[in-house]
Amino acid sequence: MKQTPSTSSAFEIAGVLVVVQASLSLVAGLSALPFAIVEPGFRVLGVATIATAIGMYWLARNLRRGRRWAWRWLVTVEVVSLAMTCLLALLPIGALRGPVPLLVNVAIPLSVLVLLASRSGDRPIPAGPAHRWSDPGRAA
Amino acid sequence: MGAPYVGLIGWPYGRCMYDIATDHAPAIGAAILLLLFLWVFFGGLRLVARRGASWATRAVDAFDRTSALTKLAAVLMLLSGTIHLALVPGHEGITGILFVIDGLGFIGLGLAVFITNWWRRPAIVWLTTTIAAYLVWVVAGWETPDQVGIACKLIELVALGMVLRVNGGIGGAWPRRLWRATAFPLAVSVTTLGIWIGGLAHPDALHAHAGALLQPVGAVAKPEQRAAAARLLADTKTSLTRYQDPAAAIAAGYKARPVSNADPLLHFQNQANAHAILDPNRPQALVYARTATGLRLVGAMYQMPAVGQWGPDPGGPLTQWHQHEGICFSPLGIEFSFETPFWTCPVGSTSITTPPMLHVWIIDNGKNGPFAADLDKTVQHELTGRS
Repeated sequence: MKQTPSTSSAFEIAGVLVVVQASLSLVAGLSALPFAIVEPGFRVLGVATIATAIGMYWLARNLRRGRRWAWRWLVTVEVVSLAMTCLLALLPIGALRGPVPLLVNVAIPLSVLVLLASRSGDRPIPAGPAHRWSDPGRAA
Repeated sequence: MGAPYVGLIGWPYGRCMYDIATDHAPAIGAAILLLLFLWVFFGGLRLVARRGASWATRAVDAFDRTSALTKLAAVLMLLSGTIHLALVPGHEGITGILFVIDGLGFIGLGLAVFITNWWRRPAIVWLTTTIAAYLVWVVAGWETPDQVGIACKLIELVALGMVLRVNGGIGGAWPRRLWRATAFPLAVSVTTLGIWIGGLAHPDALHAHAGALLQPVGAVAKPEQRAAAARLLADTKTSLTRYQDPAAAIAAGYKARPVSNADPLLHFQNQANAHAILDPNRPQALVYARTATGLRLVGAMYQMPAVGQWGPDPGGPLTQWHQHEGICFSPLGIEFSFETPFWTCPVGSTSITTPPMLHVWIIDNGKNGPFAADLDKTVQHELTGRS
């Protein structure tokens, strides 16, 4: 059998899943913009969603580059996301029905959290010199 | 294909805008079975390898040396392949044949990951082509987007993201870097847009105007149903005469629901009537149109207490209830948009489903009739100057 070199890691997979989440957020933000023509409030929400998506792309990029602060931010974002999902699932508003919302709102955030928790696993390939797991706060 | 929207009834599914077509439901079971099979298979393989079988040892070594990213991409492609094969019995003709080819292709690629090095580019092509073909089918109306189809596309998109990252490299000239950064978000955006267009452009009999799911009813109203519908309309008209003046409605406990200034209609709700069931003396809401001369009462809205609880339809198909789904609701105000087929809403808003409602229009509602989900556009424009 042909051997494939092990070049990825749990963080690499988490990074891809975060990019998926960011892309879904980006689409949600863009889809709000047509409604913003008649609903000024949606301008703010649409732009905030697009900004969040860009922020998540940035976090995914920096997670792959081994930045500690990106890891921390992503853990926070995913925990908040899961907590909100649990809260909404308890309300009688039909927020979670069927496999797609379960995959998007539960399975993916949970997978990202599990992958982020596996810090002892193999690490990403270094993308640049000397800033893997650098923490700007500590460096200062 | 025009797969019927029958879906699975009851919690947690009920009916929803993108529910599960009955001929697609076996695919969920097949996907779960595949995951169980893979778990048992690899467990068994390791057991055999520990007992000294050289072929099993080689297989386990190759598996262990494969990166986690690659393994996950393989599992996702195997999942997609299995789902496609499980869907074959419900799809005849060219679609069924394409599902067989697609399913076998994905399974072949999923296995090729462990035995060759040439799988990556074919996998990208196969995944992209499959997603593109689905969008063509959906937009053309040959396939109805349901949750199994959408979940399958999500699996394929995640697999595509994984495959693009495998040996993806870092650096390169800027056009290549730009393409690497934008290709995946573009694929997700185009997929979402395609499913959305398909779903909205080809609603079936139970999916009316965007975001509304209709109560299943008979095709033709019987004479007694016509009489009952006429009675409901007359009783509602009689009951509503006391609320022509919005001040009278407010005095009776109705409160204007917050709504955008752009909305030509205002709903005044009365929480005290929340548990009344289709009672003309206690409608849950009154609907006023914003006319040039002030608010004008145009109808009542009956609403059931809970999501998924269809109300009595004395008029059969004439008094069909509807339930709004997939609305992104912002608690910051009463702002709405529609959630994406991937069940996402803008930040600060959440997807909600309203309990079923039935409007009774006490004015002439044009061709839509007195029990339509919406006020007729022409009537609304004549009344409010807005459409």
